Amino acid sequence: MKKEFLARFLVILFILIAVAIPFAGQWLFSRNKTDIIELHARMPENGGWSIDQIDAEVNEPIHLRMTSDDVVHGIAIGKSDLPGVDIFPGEFVETTFVFDRPGQYTFYCTRWCGPNHWRMRGTIDVSGEGRPLQPEPQPLFVTLDIDIDSPPIAETVPTEQVSAERGANFASLLPTYAIDRTTYLSTSPAVLWMRLRAESALSNLSDQDIWDAVAWIWQGQTTPANLENGQRLYAENCAACHGETGKGDGVMARNNPVWDPGNHNMDKSSDSFTGEGFVRPRDFSDPKNLLGTSSALLEGKIIRGGMGTGMPYWGPIFTSQQIEDLISYLFTFAWDATSEANLD
Amino acid sequence: MFVLSGLLILIAPFPQSSKTPQKRLIRIEASSFQFTPGQIHINPNDEVTVELVSMDVVHGLSLDGYDFELKADPGQTVSATFVAEKTGVFRFRCSVACGNLHPFMIGKLQIGPNQLLIRGVALLILSIVAVFYSVRQIPQFQTRLA
Repeated sequence: MKKEFLARFLVILFILIAVAIPFAGQWLFSRNKTDIIELHARMPENGGWSIDQIDAEVNEPIHLRMTSDDVVHGIAIGKSDLPGVDIFPGEFVETTFVFDRPGQYTFYCTRWCGPNHWRMRGTIDVSGEGRPLQPEPQPLFVTLDIDIDSPPIAETVPTEQVSAERGANFASLLPTYAIDRTTYLSTSPAVLWMRLRAESALSNLSDQDIWDAVAWIWQGQTTPANLENGQRLYAENCAACHGETGKGDGVMARNNPVWDPGNHNMDKSSDSFTGEGFVRPRDFSDPKNLLGTSSALLEGKIIRGGMGTGMPYWGPIFTSQQIEDLISYLFTFAWDATSEANLD
Repeated sequence: MFVLSGLLILIAPFPQSSKTPQKRLIRIEASSFQFTPGQIHINPNDEVTVELVSMDVVHGLSLDGYDFELKADPGQTVSATFVAEKTGVFRFRCSVACGNLHPFMIGKLQIGPNQLLIRGVALLILSIVAVFYSVRQIPQFQTRLA
């Protein structure tokens, strides 16, 4: 009798265990996964990031488990030098972000995933104790009141290939304001050239000599490492529209018509999503375009974007050092192209 | 005799191409979901530099039969060179998942003449000749023809 009781008890116990296993497993699984955020990346036309707003606490890690639903994407945090993480379709990749200062951060897609790639952005709101993120100082184009929507065309451009090496010979003759950093930031090469041309101390230099000196000044404001960084950033973020050679014929923009004041039509507004009404970006390799613009203007364009031209805003993405590197790389298009421009 | 010549057509080695190998630069534009150009014809032993330009998303190009692979982001053209030592028809495929129709993103690289087609046409001609010949051998047809 006692044995039968034991047998019944065992049967009931085993049945209970069998029922409990799935529940226990689910509980264990969910307990491990509660702090992991599953993030799906999709092309912006299909919805972009599945989560575009994440709330977090200071010094509390954010675990992300990510996959792509269509093409290759990537993720990185704006205004940081951390390398991005690639997200491939069909694969899960995990990463962890920790923020030690409260504020609003931007995460964005790092690999081109279509013409609207730059729209793949989301925010991370970090709250808690700590020194908050410093707001960026006002960009120079605001304090100088530069109209960045009508970039000036250089009135004079070099007639021969400029050479910064030759320009170095005239370094001792240059007035102090010419090699000042604020001059480089706020003045375009063409304007500085005209100022130097008007200097009586430089009257015995030829026009070309002064261009060489200006090229030397511009070269002196950057380093080869900065230029290399600028080149990398340009290739990853800009070349798809502006073209690998800066001609404005990048794969995303080359079917658009070349800008021409004659066909400018105020009635036909451009459609920023379909790209209708857009024109090609300015040709950086035409010295008339870039030598007329100042570093501050380019910085403004990069931070704020093009406003109705299809140029995205990069203010929340690039650090000011990265923007500076990019600008110094952009100017090399103009200096390198001065010889070709005179062939036609 | 027909069987012998048929076998000959099937297995006879093709005469070596008399064209001198040359350097070629082929620019392939990859967009969803096609390669432009999708069909390429080159001569054996050509030194081919392939430039892969991606038009919208990250695409790749891997060539069957060769150890050759490229991956390109939009705005970052990549190129690599290989020597076309093997003859025949090879497919090149997109090697990076690029959307729904990614498995169908295939192009064709033909190195040397299309041997299958030439051998097939030769076999067809041979079989027609063989049919005529065998018809002549049958006596009743012979009298009718005479």
